[in-house]
Amino acid sequence: MIKIIIQKQFAAKNSFFVFRNFLNLYLSAKILNIMCKNHYNPIHCIIPPYMLARLMESGNKRIADLAVNSNFRSLRFRHDRIFFQKASLQEKTILGLIGKESGKETMQMEVYDCKQKTDLSGAILIWDTKTNQKITSVAGKNVIKGGKASWDFYWQLFGRNSIDNKGLLIKQYVHYDKGMDNAYWDGRRMVYGDGDGTVFTSFTSDIDVIGHELTHGVTESEANLDYENQAGALNESFSDIFGIMIKQKSYNQDVKKSNWLIGERVMIGPKYALRSLKAPGTAYINHPDLGDDPQPATMDGYQNLPNTQSGDWGGVHINSGIPNFAFYVAAFNMGGYAWEKTGRIWYAVLTDTNLAQTAKFTDVKNLTIFQAEKLFGINSQESKAVKQGWTEAKV
Amino acid sequence: MDRGKSLTEAMKIKLIRTGGFIPVTKSAETEVSLTDKELVSLLEIIQPDPAVSRIKDGNYYELSFGTRSTPIDLEKVPDEYKALFSKLKSDLKIIKRR
Repeated sequence: MIKIIIQKQFAAKNSFFVFRNFLNLYLSAKILNIMCKNHYNPIHCIIPPYMLARLMESGNKRIADLAVNSNFRSLRFRHDRIFFQKASLQEKTILGLIGKESGKETMQMEVYDCKQKTDLSGAILIWDTKTNQKITSVAGKNVIKGGKASWDFYWQLFGRNSIDNKGLLIKQYVHYDKGMDNAYWDGRRMVYGDGDGTVFTSFTSDIDVIGHELTHGVTESEANLDYENQAGALNESFSDIFGIMIKQKSYNQDVKKSNWLIGERVMIGPKYALRSLKAPGTAYINHPDLGDDPQPATMDGYQNLPNTQSGDWGGVHINSGIPNFAFYVAAFNMGGYAWEKTGRIWYAVLTDTNLAQTAKFTDVKNLTIFQAEKLFGINSQESKAVKQGWTEAKV
Repeated sequence: MDRGKSLTEAMKIKLIRTGGFIPVTKSAETEVSLTDKELVSLLEIIQPDPAVSRIKDGNYYELSFGTRSTPIDLEKVPDEYKALFSKLKSDLKIIKRR
């Protein structure tokens, strides 16, 4: 009897060890498989800290040795961004970077009223997704609509969960300052002024402006393009491009139906808008207060401005007309809805780890051609359209 | 005479705003009576933090006086100058692009 009990206990203990070892090996293999998808040597992969800790406890000596290797650790820090960007939706889900059940992510947003003051910390919360309370502020309603449209755009088309792809709470501040004729992204939130009432109305009036600001956050969490010279102009261009696509998708406009104007309501007067992607330099002409739209459409009009405040950091809002025009031509030549093909190509570039922080126009030209060929095939109509876009922009 | 305590002759200062969603330059001018010491002290207080990263589509301000011009942070303006800068800010007018 005692012998039987001992045998049973031994068997149970043995099964436990077998199971534990199997689990260890399974987890190690699973983790390495996830981490090393794009690498020949597992040493060259990047593992988040909590997984590293688990590997260090592994029964597999080789894996444990790898985990404690200091070079391996430093490599992890250097390449975190690259790894997390390359991870598939499934990998990100496993890593807990996004909600575990894809399709169930929901937008998280808060809207604050600055009451025409400049102290953001004193702004009053007027709306949030949790309570979804009724509000009377038109600007508040506008940013809720624009914020939702922007979140939906990124989620539905690219599976991107908010600004940082990790479900970041979207914070929007309206009625900033007295008569402030501007909107901006300060690295954490979007802020909108009411306009001066003469040249500009509320900067919440156009969905593309809201999409533009939100995209600054997306760019910041991806390539984080420097805000100066050509990299800065590309930063602005990505915001314009995704801003216009967010508007086009909201209004179901194809490339022919869209007028490709950014901020056509923000700027007072039927003949004016803030920018034109179709014809940079024509958004406003002979405006009584502003004069002419300074944007060039082609590289021969590139403006070498000083990298200073007054020089618009090397003309980031001016020279962005060039990559904007390249996008417009590519999208128009592809036809249909811009977000379906051209948008996919540009998003693939925006999230491509090969897009350097200091990228120049030619870098984005090469990457968009590469991504077009990767997505649609070499010599495809799409890749030809992208090449044509950059040729027309003289890049 | 101690120059630091002397009143400068009604000095003109100009507030200039640049940047924004579309790069528009605005400016407003006024006359002030500040001693050199007061001006230097004010500029020290309102100078922007260089470590702050560039705000995307942000506006920037600079103060111009005489032949000099220097970037400033309006949020740092001390209480005693708030009315002055508030007036300047509300008087800002667009400088038309040529």
